[in-house]
Amino acid sequence: MTRMFYSLLLLSSLALAEPGTVIRKTDLRDKPFLDAAVLGNVPSNTLVDIQSRKGAWMQVKLPSGQAGWIKLLNVRTSSGTTSSSTALANVIKTGSSGKTVTTGVKGLSAEEIQNARPNLAEVAKMSSYAANSADAQKSAQANQLIPVQVPAFANSTPTSAPSNKQQQERRP
Amino acid sequence: MKKQFLLPFALAAAITTSLAAPAHALDLGKLLSGDTLSKGLSVLSNAGEALNTSVKGLTPEQEEVLGHNVMANLLGAAPLMNDAKVQRYVNQVGLWVAMQSEQPHLNWRFGVIDTPNINSFAAAGGYILITRGLWDRIRSEAELAAILGHEITHVTQKHHVKALISSKSQQAGSDLISIVADYNSGKSGAKAGEKGGKALSEIFVRGLDKNDEYVADVNGMVLAARAGYNPYALVSVLQLLGSVNASDSTVALLFSTHPSPQERLDNIDQVVGEKLEGYADATENTKRFNQVKR
Repeated sequence: MTRMFYSLLLLSSLALAEPGTVIRKTDLRDKPFLDAAVLGNVPSNTLVDIQSRKGAWMQVKLPSGQAGWIKLLNVRTSSGTTSSSTALANVIKTGSSGKTVTTGVKGLSAEEIQNARPNLAEVAKMSSYAANSADAQKSAQANQLIPVQVPAFANSTPTSAPSNKQQQERRP
Repeated sequence: MKKQFLLPFALAAAITTSLAAPAHALDLGKLLSGDTLSKGLSVLSNAGEALNTSVKGLTPEQEEVLGHNVMANLLGAAPLMNDAKVQRYVNQVGLWVAMQSEQPHLNWRFGVIDTPNINSFAAAGGYILITRGLWDRIRSEAELAAILGHEITHVTQKHHVKALISSKSQQAGSDLISIVADYNSGKSGAKAGEKGGKALSEIFVRGLDKNDEYVADVNGMVLAARAGYNPYALVSVLQLLGSVNASDSTVALLFSTHPSPQERLDNIDQVVGEKLEGYADATENTKRFNQVKR
């Protein structure tokens, strides 16, 4: 009974829209395209509800109730009230007793990794699931995955700008 | 995400090649005390420098031994999730992404481990794990591909070897000395693996170089794009991680070993920005993802 209550609580918390904060002034568009109509603009620090994502875009609902699309990278998330529900979710999933919530979730803490006894049988099991290239390619094709050429970034940290090469070789 | 393994046998290998005679003389009991320990540590430090120049020279066999020991330790802490369909699926996706990397022919192996914590890990030789806690939260195959692309990059760019070399801690040092001693006295298998696993813990707790995490994020997006996925799925994953309370124990290890999700997003913003948008309309989700994800 209690468990069912918690399960419902978990489902409802996952169903809630994800909150986000707009980090720079941005246009709100009616579709996830750069040439879509501009519905208005969203000032920096606006709190939004994230509703869905498509490509580099995110569908959001503004505090005014207005909805539209903005670029994904213009939004940051931060923890709201997810802590207790997440902890609860873990108790449900692991079947641990309630006291686990306050002492930390079982499994894979730094201490547990340090105190682990090697399990060679599991490594063998892991290797037994390995795929081969031909199968991986076949499966990718069957799922409409089309490989494309994408140049690597010469530098991946902001201390130095990515090379011009990267920009020149961009796919149209 | 993921990422934090030490490679103890790399040092053993370096010491045997560069300091063959003294290495054979190492005695674990003597080394682990006082003056001798500091001498031992300086020997290790020299070996580290030697290794630094020969990282790329590690044989595939040596990398496999290292990765195997790391995985044995991690799987000792949390076993594989008991779901063959999920394990095989993650291997299909992972190998497809890895085939777009600089090392398409490495013996890549992927798995999901049974823990509610949110994290992912890589080890030399092509071993990659994500946790059930992360698997449960991802919403598309593109998100999975981006996470695996991040981990694949740690392997191909040998970030863990770098982290090992820069490790100056006494604990890591003494663990490594014992591994070297075992290695040279011909001990191997489970016993040496166990000690190797202990030595790994230090980097586990410390994490990799911050810049290497940023590099893995950006290159992970590139690998995902090459494999035909929307590379901005990594942004979704980081936004998801950013929404988890940092005090939550499920993310404690991840957050203590990585830049924050906000910092990682800022880096992607600055380095990638709109540059991969030409690939953003690629695949988000697949039939096979929906079949295995309940």
